[in-house]
Amino acid sequence: MKNSKKFSLSKPFSHIYVEKEVISHHITQEILKKFTHSKVIPINHYKEVFSRPRQSYKLQELSKKLILAKRRDTFLSPASPLCQNFGYHYFYYTNLIINCIFNCDYCFLKGMYSSANIVIFVNIEDYFQEIENMLKKHPLYLSISYETDLLAMEGIAPFFSQFVNFTYSKEDLILEVRTKSVNYMVLKSLKPSPNVILAWTLLPQEIIERFEPQTPRLPIRINTIKKAIHDGWRVRLSFDPIIFVEDWREIYERFIDYVFRKIPSSQIQDISVGVFRIPKEYLKKMRKTFENEITLFPYIEDKEAYTYPSPIKEELLNFIISKIKNYIPENKIFTI
Amino acid sequence: MIYIVTASYTEGKVFIDHFKLEKLDNPSKFQVFNKDELFLIISGVGIVNSAIATTYLLTKYGWRSEDIALNIGICGAIKTQFSKGDLILCNKIINHNSKKAFYPDILINHSMKEAVLESFDFPVKKEHQEYVEGDIVDMEGAGFFEAVSSFLPPHNIHCIKTVYDFLEYDKIDPKDIANILRKNIPHIEDFMNSLLAFNEKYLKIQKEDEKLNEILQKLKENLHLTKSMENELKRILKGYLVRNKELPEEIAEFINIKVNSKKEGKEYFEKLKKILAL
Repeated sequence: MKNSKKFSLSKPFSHIYVEKEVISHHITQEILKKFTHSKVIPINHYKEVFSRPRQSYKLQELSKKLILAKRRDTFLSPASPLCQNFGYHYFYYTNLIINCIFNCDYCFLKGMYSSANIVIFVNIEDYFQEIENMLKKHPLYLSISYETDLLAMEGIAPFFSQFVNFTYSKEDLILEVRTKSVNYMVLKSLKPSPNVILAWTLLPQEIIERFEPQTPRLPIRINTIKKAIHDGWRVRLSFDPIIFVEDWREIYERFIDYVFRKIPSSQIQDISVGVFRIPKEYLKKMRKTFENEITLFPYIEDKEAYTYPSPIKEELLNFIISKIKNYIPENKIFTI
Repeated sequence: MIYIVTASYTEGKVFIDHFKLEKLDNPSKFQVFNKDELFLIISGVGIVNSAIATTYLLTKYGWRSEDIALNIGICGAIKTQFSKGDLILCNKIINHNSKKAFYPDILINHSMKEAVLESFDFPVKKEHQEYVEGDIVDMEGAGFFEAVSSFLPPHNIHCIKTVYDFLEYDKIDPKDIANILRKNIPHIEDFMNSLLAFNEKYLKIQKEDEKLNEILQKLKENLHLTKSMENELKRILKGYLVRNKELPEEIAEFINIKVNSKKEGKEYFEKLKKILAL
């Protein structure tokens, strides 16, 4: 057999798997219109594709496929204790999309799911109904961009804007949207909602290049944040996960100075800070597929999660918080 | 390794000739052909036969996750967008009986058309058309796919079919089958090469691990490590290598130590862990 040693990867979303039940849903149709060259494959249930045995998460990351499905139950879930609750008692999260386009090395999703393909639950109206039901009982602090980057996905599924529009009339609802996206056009097209907190994850540029090379560069993120603040959006900065690397002191000091030189700290809602931590089972799974600096670090077990040994963790947090305190009052800094 | 499963000898012969495969002397009901890293088995017609032959092939000749399994043969087409001789890579394979569906991961580009294959236990004729969910039909694909799914990842399992008829099932002409399959060989061979290259590129890291495994083996023997200590040490060594690019010089001392008791081995193991900690 002649071996030409050549191949080319299929384009992202070259194949779109669609549950038959949602094929005529308006969001399905909207998404399919954007991918006219993709092969559309009908399926009965998203797990037929998403939960197949022996999938290679690592190889699927090279050519992700889309799966359009209907969420049938558990629209809202209490947030993990590994997440900062910012003082809100009713802290929940919801997933309209599973998996992310950014493929960051440290991402817990690599250990949580067996597939790198992206699942979009198109029935947003059922999520809204569940939120309405819960709001009848108590207020709600809801993280909507927990297992994906919703703002980065807006060009594919317009959930971010629909959520923002939904919040205008909901007094007891606060949405947190975690993002690394620089999709300012979407923000510009919307009226800023006082019920929405845009939580930008920021890491030093050196860390971005090493561990999340597919995400926007730090200066571009900062520019987007500045514009969002200027337009009236509430912005949280999230220095999370802090990654332990050689020369971390210099790297993080330079980073913090840079961020606050560019963004007026008085206009920041608050800051969350946390070192890398990951549920034990997820790391075990990640280590089987991804052997890199993140997965192979000698972590210690701390409350069902793996994280840095205490001396490193404390040193990292103490140093970084002491630097942040130079710019922002301590009561605006949330640590986990 | 590439494993090819064809239903009939007529279909298989095209590949036996093209790849110059030789018949293996094997004590089973199946004819198996081989050359180098390529194996081909004639399964016989039907979903069950295909599953049995596939399982036999993979278990008899060994399999690793980077191996590739292909079911190649002719099919009937329902949809009129296909023409006789069209080569199709199946993006979904349905077992008509169980209604189970299987999905290969198509991660690389190819020059074939794509369609949904439905496998039946009987030859599908025009009058059955209303029961068909797929775009094309055969009698093996689902059995093959379900069997291989127990062994290989879905990016290495594929059904490749050539359209032979449009359910006007009458008489199959072996020469005709051979002709249309032969024309498609270049596309199939390209796809096989692409799959090989893809697997090779992304499995490179494992090959580089050989040296590390040698060191680990010596440490395991010299320090009398248990299986769990060995696994822990392997992870720590890899982690150290990833962070520091090379192992510390002190490791050489441990390679030459011969311990006399488990206790002694454990002490050295702990010392080693400290050296490799960060």
